[in-house]
Amino acid sequence: MRIRLLRGLIALLLGTAALTTAGAQDPRIGTRLDAPTRAAILAIVDSARAQGIPVEPLLEKVYEGIGKGADGPRIIAAVRSLTNEMASAHKALGTVASTDEIKAAASAMHAGVPAVELGRMKQQSGLRRSLTLPFTVLADIVSRGVPVQAAANAIRSLVGAGARDADINTFQRNVKVDIEQGAPPAAAAETRAKGAAPSAGKPERDTPDTTR
Amino acid sequence: MPEWQRSTLELIVEELRRPVKIDESFDRRVMVHVRRTYARRRRRGIAGVLGAASRITHHPAWAAALAAGIVAIAAMGVARSRQRPATAAGSHEPVQFVLVAPTARSVAVVGDFNDWGLNDSALIATNHEGVWSVTAPVPTGVHRYAYVVNGKDWVADPSAPRSAGDDFGMPSSVLVVEESTK
Repeated sequence: MRIRLLRGLIALLLGTAALTTAGAQDPRIGTRLDAPTRAAILAIVDSARAQGIPVEPLLEKVYEGIGKGADGPRIIAAVRSLTNEMASAHKALGTVASTDEIKAAASAMHAGVPAVELGRMKQQSGLRRSLTLPFTVLADIVSRGVPVQAAANAIRSLVGAGARDADINTFQRNVKVDIEQGAPPAAAAETRAKGAAPSAGKPERDTPDTTR
Repeated sequence: MPEWQRSTLELIVEELRRPVKIDESFDRRVMVHVRRTYARRRRRGIAGVLGAASRITHHPAWAAALAAGIVAIAAMGVARSRQRPATAAGSHEPVQFVLVAPTARSVAVVGDFNDWGLNDSALIATNHEGVWSVTAPVPTGVHRYAYVVNGKDWVADPSAPRSAGDDFGMPSSVLVVEESTK
């Protein structure tokens, strides 16, 4: 009886290990990439997983490359770059950051925002405030020409004033329009940030703004 | 051959020709031995590993280590599933994608929420006098996406934040989907 029980336990252990390993290899990667690219990608993903970095964004980057028709070396370079940015973001934000925050922070870093700046913003915002959208907007306005420090100051002041995601969305759209109409990017960001948190203290809306 | 040798040889042959008396249990004992030998060979490989378990049943520390290993692997699986975006939890929100493209013949939406259109999973927008739109449930979280116009031109959403990551030379936008508060 004891032997049967122990054999069952060992079989369960082996089965669980097999399932865990299988989960590490996405079938969509296997069918769409050539063998050298697939091997390189899986090595990067395994290394990222070992460092505690969320790997789902890395796989999404692979699918994006495949969907856009990029060749193997280009996909490998993009995934490697994203892995490095996510590792830095993960380190800067700490263990309290969600996967979405790390993704958004990595995007901001790609735009040129230093990791230390993102970490400071996370520390100041408290644990409950998600910085996914603020980091996303930060990356956007920097890519539109707002200097990094001016952009970071604007976002930090908005979050510090209790601006909600809807306010920060409005801020992004206004800055974009201002720049498209010829305003200097830094001036647009600084000016719009001053009055962009009108709903601070008001109750949350029932539904998020999900119309693109 | 001398006579005395011949007679001795005949005696030996006669003795050897005499039927040997065998114990009645001999056949059964032989078969038991054969089965044991065969079973030992079968235990080599995975079955052998499992069979070896019988040797450690008398060591509670081994059993405890095995149980701890199973718990550790299970915990790793749970931790990994928690790392994944909300997709796994099944939390989706309806999102309307709109692109104004009066001269377009077709518009589709692709993004990380549909594996960038792989396996024909692109969202096909419908045309209303040049205003193309499609509404689809999208998992909560942050996503990258783009419009594909006429099946070949990649266009970022002009009303959404730009994606700052490596976009393979084709622009993408960012969408943050929050869980609605009900």
